[in-house]
Amino acid sequence: MTTPLLEVRGIDKSFGPVQVLHDVAFSAHAGEVTALVGDNGAGKSTLVKCVGGIYPIDSGDILFDGKPVQVHGPRDAGTLGIEIVYQDLALCDNLDIVQNMFLGRERRRGLVLDEASMEEMAQETLSGLSVRTVKSIRQQVSSLSGGQRQTVAIAKAVLWNSKVVILDEPTAALGVAQTAQVLELVRRLADKGLAVVLISHNMNDVFAVSDRIAALYLGRMAARVKTADVTHAQVVELITSGRSGDLGIMP
Amino acid sequence: MRAGPSQEDIRRHNLGALLRHVHLGGPISRAELTAKMGLNRSTIMALTSDLTAAGLVREELPRETGRAGRPSLVVRPESSRVYVFAFDVGPDRLAVARVGLGGVILDRKETVRRRGPFVVGELTGTLAGFARQMRRRTRDDTVCVGVAAAVSGGVRKGDGVIRFGPNLLTEDVPFGEELGRRLGLGLPVSVGNDANLAALAEHSRGVGVAVKDLIYLHGDVGIGGGIIAGNHLLGGHDGYGGEVGHMVVNPGGRACGCGSRGCLEAEVGERALLESAGRFPADQRGREAVRAVVEAADRGDIVAQEALKRVGDWLGLGVANLINIFNPEMVIFGGILREIYLGSAAQVRSRLALHAMAPQRERLRLRTSALADDATLVGAAELAFAHVLADPLEVLARAGT
Repeated sequence: MTTPLLEVRGIDKSFGPVQVLHDVAFSAHAGEVTALVGDNGAGKSTLVKCVGGIYPIDSGDILFDGKPVQVHGPRDAGTLGIEIVYQDLALCDNLDIVQNMFLGRERRRGLVLDEASMEEMAQETLSGLSVRTVKSIRQQVSSLSGGQRQTVAIAKAVLWNSKVVILDEPTAALGVAQTAQVLELVRRLADKGLAVVLISHNMNDVFAVSDRIAALYLGRMAARVKTADVTHAQVVELITSGRSGDLGIMP
Repeated sequence: MRAGPSQEDIRRHNLGALLRHVHLGGPISRAELTAKMGLNRSTIMALTSDLTAAGLVREELPRETGRAGRPSLVVRPESSRVYVFAFDVGPDRLAVARVGLGGVILDRKETVRRRGPFVVGELTGTLAGFARQMRRRTRDDTVCVGVAAAVSGGVRKGDGVIRFGPNLLTEDVPFGEELGRRLGLGLPVSVGNDANLAALAEHSRGVGVAVKDLIYLHGDVGIGGGIIAGNHLLGGHDGYGGEVGHMVVNPGGRACGCGSRGCLEAEVGERALLESAGRFPADQRGREAVRAVVEAADRGDIVAQEALKRVGDWLGLGVANLINIFNPEMVIFGGILREIYLGSAAQVRSRLALHAMAPQRERLRLRTSALADDATLVGAAELAFAHVLADPLEVLARAGT
């Protein structure tokens, strides 16, 4: 098997007296969508924030492309090429699509901003992802639908050559048509060679696009399986009781 | 013993191959063509100048290369000059597109088709009328080099006769001949099964590019399919191959339009979904109706959820059978099956985990159509371009330029 692009081993994380993650191992492979599932409070978001450098880990290793790395803050994660797209989407409503995609990393030509080349790069990125729903890239983000915002947030990750994109519930607030577009975008991202991690509660979304499923149960990794080898019922059991047949945490 | 190919055959073959690269891959430099085709530079130059003289491609200096040395000329398809007409006849829609070399849709028109008897004269009249309107809008130096139609039914190889079309309510109609006569362009009309053509479209321009073995499943009123094995469409002996919708998955199940029972189409098609969801007969039909069920399920409507699950279950069973037999690299869900797959993927893939054999499903990729509602039209356009790519100069000479 190939080396995972992102791998974490033996992660422990406590908030005061509460241990949220117990010896968690997780990996994401280039070109694949790995779904991270689990009940509310299972530790999905905490795990992701540990990888993203928002929470320091108590113990454990993070490996990137097979090499151990230290992630002390979001900046470190960004430098490695790890991008997290949060549920609440850190986009600025009062700026347009191009301004959002280049926020804080604007290109300059001399003293002024190089609007033309930023526009061109934003357009190329969107068309490279076959995004056809956005009419103009000079549209203000406040005028976009939920699905289009998600699209812009994801495209931003691609523009900055991220290697690992982590999506936290990208379809949670969307209607059916927009969910379909976002799911297809998630799949295209992986098909372009990125490692994608999808956090979702919706089993249809998980089965529609994922290659692997990692199920967390009360802060422990219950099972890491290939989506092709499991059924819906098994995954639901793993989420709700931490085990299913010979899969999961043994008593 | 057969003699080897003549110089003329080789030239024709090379011209076609070069044009195919430009047609499918878009603008490409002479240097890249040299590398891709494994021919020497002077041959590539001779071939491109022949195609340029015929008005099929043009050569331009690249915008900027940023590298030292004389830049290699970029060969572009003459998309706005050389075009074909593509038609799509589905149970609920009629569509016409004028598609330029390189696969650019230059103009398109679509209308709703009311379900009812198939009157060939009326239908071809409407289609030809649309095409005439489009032709009037074209410039004088444009040239139509082919015509093809995708129809939702079984089409006989060779003469474009629709042999069966339970969802179009027709059989044994010389559709290609009739449409050709109405158009009066002096061009033969190629006709193909819509799902077969959509499979070819996804294979050449969609999600299945560079995938040698794929199965495309097309959902409309019924379920059609196209099987591509080793880069070739399995058309069958007479051209009726790929009718996966009539694979029996539930003997004694629901009645099918073909006269049998329990066909995949009868268990998964539009009517099965709408009936299980308690929405048949409905005011809405076709894609709109299917989307409404998926949306209701998403909002928490239990009846719609159960209907979708049931349909997903049967779909998974059908796909599992296909995977065991053909071992494709990719299965593509198109038409209404895109929505049905995304809305019931948990059921579909659970069935695959249970019934498809492990080695076959190990590297299988499940995807939704990239061309979406245009898949059948794009497929028809590719069919129309097929003979141009086989013999570019001859076809263009005949088209009267």
